[in-house]
Amino acid sequence: MLAIHDLTKRYGDVVALDGASFDASPGRIVGFLGPNGAGKTTTMRAILGLVRPNRGEVRWKGKPVGPEERARFGYMPEERGLYPKMKVGEELTYFAELSGMKGAAAKEAAAGWLGRLGLGDRAGARLEELSHGNQQRVQLAVALVHDPELVVLDEPFSGLDPLGVESLAEMLVQIAATGVAVVFSSHQLDLVEEVCQDVVIIDHGQVVLAGVVEELKAASSYRSLEVSVNGEPWAPILPSGTVTSKKDGRVRVLVDASVDLDEVLASARRVGEVTKFSFEPPSLTDLFLEAVSEGRGA
Amino acid sequence: MSGGARRLWLVARREWSQRARSLAFRISTLISVLIVVALIVVPEMYGGGVKPTRTVGLVGQSSSQLPEILSAAGDQLGLSVKSRTYPDEISGRAALRSGDVSVLLVDQQQLVWKAETDDQLRAIVTSAVQFLERQQAIGELGLTAEQAQRLLQPPDLRSTSLEPATKERSARVALATIGMILLFMAIAFYGGSVLTGVVEEKSSRVVEVLLSRLRPTELLAGKVLGIGLVGLAQFALVAGSALVALALSGNTLAPKTTPSTIGWVLFWFVLGYGFYSVLYATAGSLVSRQEEAQSIQFPVTGVLLVGYVLAFVAAESPDGVAALVGSLVPPTAPMVMTVRIANGGVPWWQIVLSVALMVVTVYGMVQLAGRIYAGAVLRIGRRVRLKEAWRGSGV
Repeated sequence: MLAIHDLTKRYGDVVALDGASFDASPGRIVGFLGPNGAGKTTTMRAILGLVRPNRGEVRWKGKPVGPEERARFGYMPEERGLYPKMKVGEELTYFAELSGMKGAAAKEAAAGWLGRLGLGDRAGARLEELSHGNQQRVQLAVALVHDPELVVLDEPFSGLDPLGVESLAEMLVQIAATGVAVVFSSHQLDLVEEVCQDVVIIDHGQVVLAGVVEELKAASSYRSLEVSVNGEPWAPILPSGTVTSKKDGRVRVLVDASVDLDEVLASARRVGEVTKFSFEPPSLTDLFLEAVSEGRGA
Repeated sequence: MSGGARRLWLVARREWSQRARSLAFRISTLISVLIVVALIVVPEMYGGGVKPTRTVGLVGQSSSQLPEILSAAGDQLGLSVKSRTYPDEISGRAALRSGDVSVLLVDQQQLVWKAETDDQLRAIVTSAVQFLERQQAIGELGLTAEQAQRLLQPPDLRSTSLEPATKERSARVALATIGMILLFMAIAFYGGSVLTGVVEEKSSRVVEVLLSRLRPTELLAGKVLGIGLVGLAQFALVAGSALVALALSGNTLAPKTTPSTIGWVLFWFVLGYGFYSVLYATAGSLVSRQEEAQSIQFPVTGVLLVGYVLAFVAAESPDGVAALVGSLVPPTAPMVMTVRIANGGVPWWQIVLSVALMVVTVYGMVQLAGRIYAGAVLRIGRRVRLKEAWRGSGV
């Protein structure tokens, strides 16, 4: 298990991380969320030893993380980068060897991953000769080629087309199913909601929400209420609630979980025919916005 | 091999394999070898091999061995002596007048000149005729072939000089200067390759992937080692072919110190490259784009250039203060000491001191540079200031 405890990092006067703590478990996918500049990349770099925190520590299976532990980690930074002039097969083999694999095993693993990503016939091509999408795949393969126990991906979905997003999401699920702990950051909250079991939301260097996605949703004091009415636009008359979207007579409101539904339905019916009426736990987006705006004192 | 040493070696091996098998490397090595071999062989063919030629005209009675003996006697005095036989003295004299022959030898007894006598040629012909007559006299004594050989063999006198020959010394210094220029170029080129390599890793962002798997010092040291091995291999290949060319061409023109000068140049390349490549790598870690790489390497190349200029000063006055200091201080020692050693007369303790200072400095610099490199290499974007890199170590 990956345990991050009280991680603090300052760059001069700028506080990038301010006592962040969370865990990641084998076989589970953690979505790591936060606004730009919240400290996601700094946290990931600290896990990989690229950033030395001022305070706090990162532990793997109970031990402080050192070079030996890191050899079992896979990392894809937000700023993608590989040697453009190297042959793809050699490049993958090189990174596998750097992570401690022996020559023959590294070669085999590289060939295996290229085959798995549909690039089996491009092993002899230079990286720069590949399409942008295929270069992204090689980058992912570099993070996975040495069979890591923990995979950390910084914005892995950015820049992918919908098909690429779909296949990467599928692959992450498969990898986690083999017992690997996966942590990735993203701004695509619907995607995180679909793929991740766990979520960590960070803001201003502090973890503002962390836990199992479904549990967090269920435990929320809010519900998402969605009503569509034929006829006049319906304005919700509620004691509390935030309208999150309003379109073509359909209204989505975040309401207190204890709201009197009969009363709401009755008020909607007074306006026109109700064609849709749903009352569900809030979406991850709702949780995110709530957690982040609370931290900002909004 | 420990994990760190293995990773360092993997980095070095990648640098080696990517560079040594590139077409540019092969072509530049081939061209360097061809140039060096040509520089040695061509003058040897057209200058060293061609000695002044004299022709001796032979008339009347003369031994059939004479042409061969004349040629051998000429070789000893640095003359190529040929012979031509004429049927009678009249045709011989005609050849002498027209300049076809330098002298006419009649019946192995009389020398006929066109006008002035050539003392050198006369001595050669005289000793050749003397040799033949002695051979004949010895034959009449009834000695064995071995005894005869001993009588005829000229004594092999060893010769030494009280003072070094200035001509030989200036040739040595000239050769060392060429070696020093090559050394300077090799350090600048391969040091520059280290800098470019570091900047490439930053600009392509691969450095973050790398450093998630190895320490900055492992990456730095591996890169320096790998590129250094490529440079040393190229240098050694060129030097080796120079030595082979010297041996095969008979080496009459190059100073006798050529092999040792080549050895010293290779030795100082290792130390000088060690010093400068670390400086270049540190400079490279401060910038993120190739366009900035040019300006950031100016200070380093500037220091290197000081050594280059000082080496010329040392070639002029090898015993001056500038030469002495320059040959001891690490940044300039590789260039200056190479020239001073070739000049001769450098006390051994100065060489030892110079090498020791160099080794200690390189070791210390790797520590300092490792910290700056580690603090700067992950900062992509604007140029990193030295102070920030120093403080940001282990970021």
